[in-house]
Amino acid sequence: MGLEDGAPAQEFTQRGFLTTQVDSLVGWARTGSLWPMTFGLACCAVEMMQAGASRYDMDRFGIVFRPSPRQSDVMIVAGTLTNKMAAPLRRVYDQMPEPRWVISMGSCANGGGYYHYSYAVVRGCDRIVPVDVYVPGCPPTAEALLYGIIQLQRKIARRSIAAA
Amino acid sequence: MSTHIEELAALVEAQLGERVRRYAAPPGELAYELAAPQLLEVALILRDGPGLAFESLIDVAGVDFLDYGRADWNTSTATSTGFSRGVNPDVGHTLRGERRYAVLYQLLSVSKNQRLRLRVWCDGAEEPTVDSLNGIWASANWFEREAFDLFGILFTNHPDLRRLLTDYGFIGHPFRKDFPLIGNVEVRYDPEQQRVVYEPVSIQPRILVPRVIRHDNRYDPALLAGEKRNG
Repeated sequence: MGLEDGAPAQEFTQRGFLTTQVDSLVGWARTGSLWPMTFGLACCAVEMMQAGASRYDMDRFGIVFRPSPRQSDVMIVAGTLTNKMAAPLRRVYDQMPEPRWVISMGSCANGGGYYHYSYAVVRGCDRIVPVDVYVPGCPPTAEALLYGIIQLQRKIARRSIAAA
Repeated sequence: MSTHIEELAALVEAQLGERVRRYAAPPGELAYELAAPQLLEVALILRDGPGLAFESLIDVAGVDFLDYGRADWNTSTATSTGFSRGVNPDVGHTLRGERRYAVLYQLLSVSKNQRLRLRVWCDGAEEPTVDSLNGIWASANWFEREAFDLFGILFTNHPDLRRLLTDYGFIGHPFRKDFPLIGNVEVRYDPEQQRVVYEPVSIQPRILVPRVIRHDNRYDPALLAGEKRNG
């Protein structure tokens, strides 16, 4: 099959084709398969499970929880991050392949929350990992987490792969 | 009050005699206190003595009596002084009694369907020490590690007295009343060293829940005395 005999042109005209930008295509692919690293630390994790279960069903956005950081695109820090857990959290983040995103879920992960003045709690998981989306609440509802994920999808879709 | 509590108290006092002293407990409960040197023999009698048979140790708890009975916030004047009294930085600590640390043991006899509380006053102010009950009830192992971790109570002859809950390399015992609530260190990720680093804590302490001693009918001394008399 070569260009000389005109066969490809015939294929295009008969079967049709689409044009797009690489950024849009990559953004569409990334937003449609956000695989979160399961990082439930406290009660927020229950709300995260609720978002993943049949009622809110995050699978319909292509969001499938993974037990391994090496297969994940996004880490949802769901709960109180203690000093003792800070180093393991960073290690898990470092193991995730690029591009990677972080959702900070709930008051504790956002800024220490109820435990802000505690001797054992990190005052916000952004002291340990860079955070893309903060979901407020104590705990945030499953809808709130879902909204945060949709915000993250918009953020990802906006990004150019040349900038990445 | 209830007769089975008095029957149990008579049994305990017949077998332990002067080594234990009964102290006030809510109705339907029985509590004794004793000095640290007698703990092992008392525990053995409670486990093996006829009619006692406390086969299981349900819980071990440390207590720090520093600042016991001192309120940050007086409820009778709260409307005029407001919450700010509880926010003021601490002005030192007071110890009312002679002894500071105690260990509480909650015992259960499944075969006799009865419970008992033991309070042991620790020897030593800076290094409170009691004997480990790990050889008598195996469940004491982690409970005692927890009490060691949070209160710094040393359990002699414990097989593995390591910290249980706090961070690796943690300094201090956070449940002691003179331990600052905000702690001494905080963590952050250092991009240059590419690891999580510890630094001196950068925020000011703030008491959000002041200690409050209420002066209503529930804590009326006459009523409390009546409770004590009835056991």
